[in-house]
Amino acid sequence: MTSAPSPNPMIQFSEVSKVYPGGIEALNQLTFQIDKGEMVFLAGHSGAGKSTLLKLIAGIERANRGTVTVNGQNLSKMHPTELAYLRQHIGLIFQDHKILFDRTVHENVLLPLEIIGFDRREAAKRVRAALDKVGLLNKEKMNPVRLSGGEQQRLCIARAVVHRPAILLADEPTGNLDRAYAQDIMELFKSFHQVGVTIVISAHDEILMREYGQRTIRLSQGKLG
Amino acid sequence: MQRFFYLHLRAASQALRTLLQQPLSSLLGLAMLGLAVALPVCLYLLVSSAQQWSQGLTVKPEITVFMELNAERTDVVVVDEHLRQHKLIADYEFISREQALKVLLEKQNLQDIGQALGGNPLPDAFIIRPKELTPEQMEQLAVELSHLPLVENTQFDAGWARKLAQILAVLQHFTLVLGASLAVTLLLVTHNMIRMQILAHRDAIEVSKLIGAPNPFIRRPFLYLAVWQGGIAAALGWGLAQAFIATLNPLIADFAALYHSQAELHSLNLEESALLVVSIIGLSCLTAAWTCTRLLRKLEPR
Repeated sequence: MTSAPSPNPMIQFSEVSKVYPGGIEALNQLTFQIDKGEMVFLAGHSGAGKSTLLKLIAGIERANRGTVTVNGQNLSKMHPTELAYLRQHIGLIFQDHKILFDRTVHENVLLPLEIIGFDRREAAKRVRAALDKVGLLNKEKMNPVRLSGGEQQRLCIARAVVHRPAILLADEPTGNLDRAYAQDIMELFKSFHQVGVTIVISAHDEILMREYGQRTIRLSQGKLG
Repeated sequence: MQRFFYLHLRAASQALRTLLQQPLSSLLGLAMLGLAVALPVCLYLLVSSAQQWSQGLTVKPEITVFMELNAERTDVVVVDEHLRQHKLIADYEFISREQALKVLLEKQNLQDIGQALGGNPLPDAFIIRPKELTPEQMEQLAVELSHLPLVENTQFDAGWARKLAQILAVLQHFTLVLGASLAVTLLLVTHNMIRMQILAHRDAIEVSKLIGAPNPFIRRPFLYLAVWQGGIAAALGWGLAQAFIATLNPLIADFAALYHSQAELHSLNLEESALLVVSIIGLSCLTAAWTCTRLLRKLEPR
């Protein structure tokens, strides 16, 4: 499902194609847009191109053809350092969490604020607020290895939202969780959506997506389905 | 601006923590670098002190021109005229063979032998003090004067000083080579240390890049690590060199006293010490920057 052109786009794809080395075509001529403050699901089977699409939005990968525009900035024309600064305004939630196990829960969530250069006291306050939001405040001094899968996912969410990004990109955030945990996570996203954050969630749980009744972009073999 | 200083302060303290987290391996690495710094510094101090000492010893070089024994007064006058007009000669003194014999017999208390000789075996001589000349020019002048009529030979009195200067020049060159070896050692050790640190923090670097850390942010703690390492190694090297001087100076003073002379090794002065520290820190920093740039390019987020 595609949306009609809007005067208030946060993310715009215009005839975007992505081919990986070896000729593997991940995305083919994609054109769509996501508005500011919108919450969108990305649906499709494994290998449909959902993760690639999220990586293109975050500037982790670059399109081979077409233009990806985020908040009015054409990513294909940006220098890697500019892309890094752009990512400071994006919250990323990874399928494999990408948690650092040599740091405590608190230190993991602190990382984006350290990168931005937050004052130590203000940063600590924000970390505690983010951990409180995801229900991990009582475990802030723990090593993340001792957290359950659901808790690790919530830690990843806390790290993604601690710097209050304008965009939240989540790659299969409920993929490995049972329904109760998945609903907890979705409720968190809903609360961020309610305060105006643009959210793109890749998922394959149709029931969950229907439950939250948001727009869904369907991908099939790199094309809009 | 406040954020800039905060980020640098944090990176510097983070780098120091990295060194302190592995005290033994850090200490061993730093001790090795300190020794590598101390070796050329000690040699430099030895050479420069010896140079200063030899400059104090070297009297104005002189060339002695000995006439042949059968040279007549007219021959002496010809040589005297030539020397007076020579542009490279500052002044000279003529010592007649009679005068020389008299001085020799008086000085050595050899009057009896003088009578036994039955004649004067010494030649007329000129003692020449040239203008400021290089050792090579001195030698050329001595050769030129030896070709004057009825000149038996010439003697370059400061030859030993030239030899000493040559030995010191060789040592100076050796110091430079040793210094260059130190630079290469420092480069290799710093490169290896930064490479190991980057690989040890590979996960953190990849995650940091994914969530928006630009390369300067990631590079900064490694650069400060190189600054700490270079600074501590320079300080250790300086300290070892000072200890070396303190140990050796009494022995040198005793040795010099045997020749009624005074000698000592001097320490690095403030400018030399600052140059040592700044150049070692600078070299470490440049190596770290190059290593980071090379390796961080390979750790792009995927």
